[in-house]
Amino acid sequence: MVMDEIIAAARKEDRTSLTELESKQILKEVGINTTEIRLARSKEEAVARSQELGFPVVLKIVSPDILHKTDVGGVKLSLNNKEDVGNAYDEIISMIKKHQPSAKIQGVSVQPMARPATEVIIGMSKDPQFGPVLMFGLGGILVEILKDISFRIVPLTRRDANEMIREIKGYPILEGYRGQEPANIAVLEQLLLKVSEFVESKPEIKELDINPIFAYRDSALAIDARVILEP
Amino acid sequence: MKDIVGRLDRAFNPRSVAVVGDKMEMGYMWLRSLANFQGRVYSVQIDEKELQGIAALGVKNYSSLLDIPDEVDYVIVAVPRAVAPKIVQHCIQKNVGSVMLFTSGFAESNTEEGIRLQENITEMAREAHLNLIGPNCVGIFNPKIGLRHTTDQYWGDGGNVGFISQSGTHATFFTLVGEVNGIRISKSVSYGNAAVLDAADYLEYLGEDEDTKIIGMYIEGVENGRQFFSCLREIARRKPVLIWKGGGTDEGTRATASHTASLAGPPLLWDALIKQCGAIKVDNLDEMVDTIQALLYAKPTTGNRVGLVAMTGGQSVVITDAFARAGFEVPLLTERSYREFASFFNTIGSSYQNPLDISSNLPHLDRIIRCLDILNDDERIDVVVLDLPVVFMTRISWLIPNFFDDLIDALSLYKERSAKPLLAILISAHAESEAIEARKKLVARGIPSFPSFERGANALKKAVAYYKSAALQ
Repeated sequence: MVMDEIIAAARKEDRTSLTELESKQILKEVGINTTEIRLARSKEEAVARSQELGFPVVLKIVSPDILHKTDVGGVKLSLNNKEDVGNAYDEIISMIKKHQPSAKIQGVSVQPMARPATEVIIGMSKDPQFGPVLMFGLGGILVEILKDISFRIVPLTRRDANEMIREIKGYPILEGYRGQEPANIAVLEQLLLKVSEFVESKPEIKELDINPIFAYRDSALAIDARVILEP
Repeated sequence: MKDIVGRLDRAFNPRSVAVVGDKMEMGYMWLRSLANFQGRVYSVQIDEKELQGIAALGVKNYSSLLDIPDEVDYVIVAVPRAVAPKIVQHCIQKNVGSVMLFTSGFAESNTEEGIRLQENITEMAREAHLNLIGPNCVGIFNPKIGLRHTTDQYWGDGGNVGFISQSGTHATFFTLVGEVNGIRISKSVSYGNAAVLDAADYLEYLGEDEDTKIIGMYIEGVENGRQFFSCLREIARRKPVLIWKGGGTDEGTRATASHTASLAGPPLLWDALIKQCGAIKVDNLDEMVDTIQALLYAKPTTGNRVGLVAMTGGQSVVITDAFARAGFEVPLLTERSYREFASFFNTIGSSYQNPLDISSNLPHLDRIIRCLDILNDDERIDVVVLDLPVVFMTRISWLIPNFFDDLIDALSLYKERSAKPLLAILISAHAESEAIEARKKLVARGIPSFPSFERGANALKKAVAYYKSAALQ
């Protein structure tokens, strides 16, 4: 099991915070659709991985010490060819060395650039009385400013998943407001149920944040993810 | 049947009760509350000064629980907190059914001694499997057997509503306010600090209790949220459970800590929990009483369209606003209904669009009932609401003696033949006491009434939401 190996490796290194790469590998194992993600430990590897995946690609720093990758210049989007990828690799590494020299760098992840869509987020945190709780909301400023989010206590039933999506004020956006691509609500329900099942079966997961998820007409794709383990 | 149900059965249905530490200073409130108890009552008191007062109540006193030559099912403890561990120890030795500690000053006092004493009695009770209710509470009310916590409470006939309350005041008020609103208790319990037995244990018990059809709860916090969640999820599938969460605001959570030492939990999560379990959220005693009254006496509906009958023009406007604001539709009626109205309804100074303004058709009782029948037969209407202002009813009764009583009789007959829920709105204006008497009369004939349009609309909204939610299960 990839998941158990990842968790064991983190434990060995005495860390509770998993990288995006590790987090996505875990999500993939429980059947959650994520962007393809490959690790590159050098500039050459980054170019090779991007050629395997096909352009355009995204490069992101992989380090257990970096929580907010964008803030330290650790993310480069829309890279269209080998040269772009090579330059981006160098830039990321030098930015990290400048902004957070103490960070342990595992490498850089290479991922295909996903087609933009309505963003949603799913989170799990633990309440001292109620245990694991799922949160659902629209991504971006809507969640940050309007706090337009809904909660349910794990385990979720189908009906809970259905209602927690429809409960948010921004629900009409998911239905495809003014000609925008509608999100597939049934797929999002399934996703919530999978996350519920997953966190229920793995009590050693302390927090989970899948943010953003791109919600398409016929599917949903986890673009970024973060797992925190219980100490 | 779960273990806890069997254990609590003896506590809720005791055949013998002992009161430890009742005294004159409290007006012997506990012994007096047991005046009609259908079983054996004993007192335990060592203070010589109190013995005469206890003897005057006709209760046999002992100087220790252990001296009582009988089995004791339920013990009421009103001793100072420092003595509590000794009494709990005696309860264990005596193998009593359960012990309720009225005594306070434990964890909720946030004093070192209080916390230590609570830990002390909790540990003793847990180890010995003693059913300890409280501390810092007033315990069980079972009207059928005359087990009460105040002499204001009724006894004799029990009802079908169970109440579980972390507060003694709310438990008492609910039983008293409920009574004048046609809500009678099957069994209720106030459980304070929940040191040993918690909300989920009582919920489990009342969930199994055949006399209890509806359960109301006042909760400040639960120790084991997940246990409560799974328990509520199961019970709320079988019977309506209403939850009034104390400490529903960040500010309020401070008060729960000093009242019952409860960790209130985030209000958002409580809202989620209530929704997930299919329970009904209420925010105060009025909503609790109103919603239970609607569930007990209004016929079930999942419909959203109301037919409104007001006695005067001004009320016809604001009753419509109130129901529309609560999310109800106030639709126009069918042509057939309008033809029927046209055949008898005096429209000078009145109207029958929906809302109806009966005004000039008063005081013809038969016309009021005919209006209700038309609404009942109208396919565009799900619920019928009738405005019954006490002040006008009283005035009409000056002209036509017994008008109001006759109207209630007619309403009761209407209710029997109608298929749709009927709600009465009984605004008291300045006549509070007349209003209460009128409400008692109405509900005695099975007609729920509410003191304002808003409260009626809100209760109906909660009942409809409940029936909708239950239909989805």
